[in-house]
Amino acid sequence: MAAITPTPGTPGTPRRVRPGQAALHAVLLLGGLAMLFPFVWMLLTSFKGVHQMINNPLDWLPDPWRPQNYPDALGKMPFGRAYWNSLYIAVVTVALTLLTSAMAAYAFARIRFRGSGVLFVLFLATQMVPIQVTLVPLYLMLARIGLVDSHLALILPAVANPFAVFLLRQFIRAVPVELEEAARIDGAGRFRIFWSVVLPNIRPGLGALGIITFLTSWNSFLMPLVFLNTEELATLPLLLQRFSGEHGAVEYGLILAASAIAVVPTLIAFLIGQRRIINSMAASGLGGR
Amino acid sequence: MALLTRARPRAAAAPPAGRGVRTRDGWWAAFFLAPQVLCLLLFLAFPLAFALVLAFVQWDGLGPVTFVGLDNLGAQLTSPAFLDATWNTIKIALITVPVGLGLAVAIAVGLNSIRGRAAHVYRVLYFLPVVTSSVAAALMWQIILADNENGVLNTSLERWFGISGPDWLFDPQWVIVSISIVTIWSSLGLNVVIFLAGLQTIPPQLMEAARIDGAGPWRTFRSITLPMLSPTVFFSTIVAVISSLQAFDQIYVLVDPYKNEGARTIVYLVWRLGFREFQLGPSSAAALLLLVLTLLVTLVQFAAQKRLVHYDS
Amino acid sequence: MKRALAVLALTAMAAAACSGGGGTGPGVRQDGGSGGKVTIRWSTWGSADDIKLYEEFTQDFEKRHPNIKLKLESVPKYADYHPKLLTQLTSKTAPDVIFVGDDNIGKFVTAGVLTPLNDKLAGPDSKSRPEDFGEGLYGGAKRDGTIYGVPNDTNPEVLWYDKKALQAAGITEDPAALHEAGQWTMAKYLDMNARLKAAGKAGSLFWNWYGSTYSFVGGFGGKVWDGGKFVATTDPKTRQALETLAKGYQDKTFLCVDLLPESDSANTQFVKHKAGFYAGGRWMIDIVKKGGEQDNYDIVPFPSPDGKPMPGAVAASYLALNKDTEHPKEAFTFLTEFVSKEGQLIRLKSGGAVPSVKGAESLVLEGGYPKHAKTFIDVRDTGFANYPEEVAVPGLTFAINEHLLKVWQGKLPFDQGMTELQKLVENHKG
Repeated sequence: MAAITPTPGTPGTPRRVRPGQAALHAVLLLGGLAMLFPFVWMLLTSFKGVHQMINNPLDWLPDPWRPQNYPDALGKMPFGRAYWNSLYIAVVTVALTLLTSAMAAYAFARIRFRGSGVLFVLFLATQMVPIQVTLVPLYLMLARIGLVDSHLALILPAVANPFAVFLLRQFIRAVPVELEEAARIDGAGRFRIFWSVVLPNIRPGLGALGIITFLTSWNSFLMPLVFLNTEELATLPLLLQRFSGEHGAVEYGLILAASAIAVVPTLIAFLIGQRRIINSMAASGLGGR
Repeated sequence: MALLTRARPRAAAAPPAGRGVRTRDGWWAAFFLAPQVLCLLLFLAFPLAFALVLAFVQWDGLGPVTFVGLDNLGAQLTSPAFLDATWNTIKIALITVPVGLGLAVAIAVGLNSIRGRAAHVYRVLYFLPVVTSSVAAALMWQIILADNENGVLNTSLERWFGISGPDWLFDPQWVIVSISIVTIWSSLGLNVVIFLAGLQTIPPQLMEAARIDGAGPWRTFRSITLPMLSPTVFFSTIVAVISSLQAFDQIYVLVDPYKNEGARTIVYLVWRLGFREFQLGPSSAAALLLLVLTLLVTLVQFAAQKRLVHYDS
Repeated sequence: MKRALAVLALTAMAAAACSGGGGTGPGVRQDGGSGGKVTIRWSTWGSADDIKLYEEFTQDFEKRHPNIKLKLESVPKYADYHPKLLTQLTSKTAPDVIFVGDDNIGKFVTAGVLTPLNDKLAGPDSKSRPEDFGEGLYGGAKRDGTIYGVPNDTNPEVLWYDKKALQAAGITEDPAALHEAGQWTMAKYLDMNARLKAAGKAGSLFWNWYGSTYSFVGGFGGKVWDGGKFVATTDPKTRQALETLAKGYQDKTFLCVDLLPESDSANTQFVKHKAGFYAGGRWMIDIVKKGGEQDNYDIVPFPSPDGKPMPGAVAASYLALNKDTEHPKEAFTFLTEFVSKEGQLIRLKSGGAVPSVKGAESLVLEGGYPKHAKTFIDVRDTGFANYPEEVAVPGLTFAINEHLLKVWQGKLPFDQGMTELQKLVENHKG
């Protein structure tokens, strides 16, 4: 893998605070607070009781604090099972998506074959129609092969992901061809090159895609709603929908406590993921080892 | 200066495929493509084809199917509801795509230029909307945008600037702006992550060299960052355009289009015709027209890509 | 890095294999071949609290019918329920027994996917007779004398009123007392609304749906449908009613619940005494209870032109039999017990519905809340579900409400709004 190592560049100049930096921080922080606002509001409201929501809905702080919302929310429905369902569906979807779409992306980016261009456009075209359109045909098809009311009905259609292929193709095209040439000269085969040269070099792309795919799966509502019938198979978003009745709710504290419970794992996944994904590249320079 | 010129976009040279491996390449391509293509055919292409056939028939999902030719398409193209929905959809795309992506690039570049603990904190902050539950976000935005004594935005406008703000949620003109704000707010974090990932693939030596050549930050951005980031920007633009043309979900939680005709997009119409009125034919016809619109816009973008996007090779 | 990717790939394959095995377990159609046990799938909509109410009935039922296992399949929201049901019916994977809402039943009747129930209801296995359910409740579930769905429970639309709010507006008369004296007229009601408005409150809170709108129309002596024709825009009384409503919405005498922000919803306004009346069903008990001053509220029917009682709107849903069910006998056993007096007494014990079957009134009256709880029964017995003409056309009710919402907001001049409404209805009937 010596070929990947970049020519030793000039060592990074020692950091000092440049004039623009302070302004940059100010702007980023301001924007960041706007992003933070609803999240904090959700957390705070999740500690409010019914009485306060009715009488002073605009209060910023809970009064009194009602942590009981959390056990109440948890006790109301089988969160544990839904958590597990959502989690493993998301993880399997991510793993399968990353692998299969990286393979396809490699073919489009690096292998010359007849009809590559046309096939790629067709690929993309299939994702230009929203799920609402294909829902009935997809259901008919899944019912035919006996997948309705199973988690595979959520996983397999989600793995078919032209955007993922597109994204990774963009990343692979940015990988210097010389790296692959070098590996080829070393006698590596196609798959070997894909696995040991290309994949490590598109790690940021895989990371970003992984996060997106995870979140899409984690938040997916329409598909589980239509494709799952059995209570035991329900995912987290389905459960959350069950909190409010038809005529509007008053127990927002409870609903938001439930929402917060649902959000925490994605947040943790991101906290772990973003450090590793985004920073690993910055820390190690170009290329992964 | 020489370095800057070299980093400018140039046509992607074909990978120097060795002679004699051509025939084998076909098999390799098939091998690499097979899993995705299989899933795609089964779960996207086939249902899509089926749905498009429906555009030419009259069917309620239960009764007999009657072939009506181009009637459904004609009816949609002349229906004020469809034309309004198309216009609303285009307006949303025209606002959210440039503003959303522009902001995301700016934030990503900003985040990329700082190191240390602060960078982590900012990243998490910008990503928070992506993980904030849509219920909580919708509640929050409804409070901010409400046009009554509880509306945070309008009461602030009144108090500080003496402006009486519009009815952000129920005025059909302004609701487009509200939808755009919330859409950008909620998708910004993902685009920032994608752009950060793209920025990380830019060799630091290039930036370093530019700096040594005496290029200012703007110059570096124009001549190195943007060209090198352009494949990622291109991808994000395509995705953002398509998803804004498919806008429905975020709108639905913010303001039910039933209550505001300004929030009715093509997908809303598709959903309504198909699932409220059980008219799968007209619903599919509207969807087919949406597909044509999307394809056209995407092809234009691909054509523009040749001039604007830079691929290393 | 390599190792990480390898682990990833392995996990993917292992998990895919796992989910393949686990996922196919509960199949689409479970015939429960083992031990002669039959699984009856049935579907409805509802929140967690709603669904919990079925547990006791299910347990009781399964104990008495050891050969039948009930499997409830529910979606959280009413709006999502019928689209899913349509998809299931199209692919022949729908449950054996299905709930159908009053605005969608007509469509499924036309499509012929429901079993006609007359013979079965009159047969020896039936726990109740067709006449046990008020004639007006059948709505679109009955066509040319054939019954396709049995009303499983109802929600009669009444006016809840806030005594404190009325007092604060200087109103001394009690609506329920006026009603008992035969003096509860539209004129009186509108006068109270005007006074509430003058006192800085909202007069009435209405959901934008047929229940409130058509009850209001009834108060003017108007009709919406007559002999299969949509007459709302031509009948002068109806037109007057709609115009009064539109004016009221625009000067904020009436507030449209659909248009209120979540942060200041109708529920909170009502418990904070910011409105005099709130049109709704028995489900409102839950809301006023959470407000903490439940004795401050009572109910009255919608007013009539002359003070005499008149039919009001009743929200209903129906229990129907999937024509394709493989176990018609067991499915009917479930259906008939579910809607029978005994069944309703068990499953409606708590919750906010009114039984649809005669003889189960004690559920509503027992608690003595609200004070005039009997009004619910009166409205149910004389009331009407949405017009069969209207619900026979899929999406028509929805389209009418959507259009009226524009009229209420003053986005269209009233006359133009009416002309367009007539056109819209005719287009839909096509």
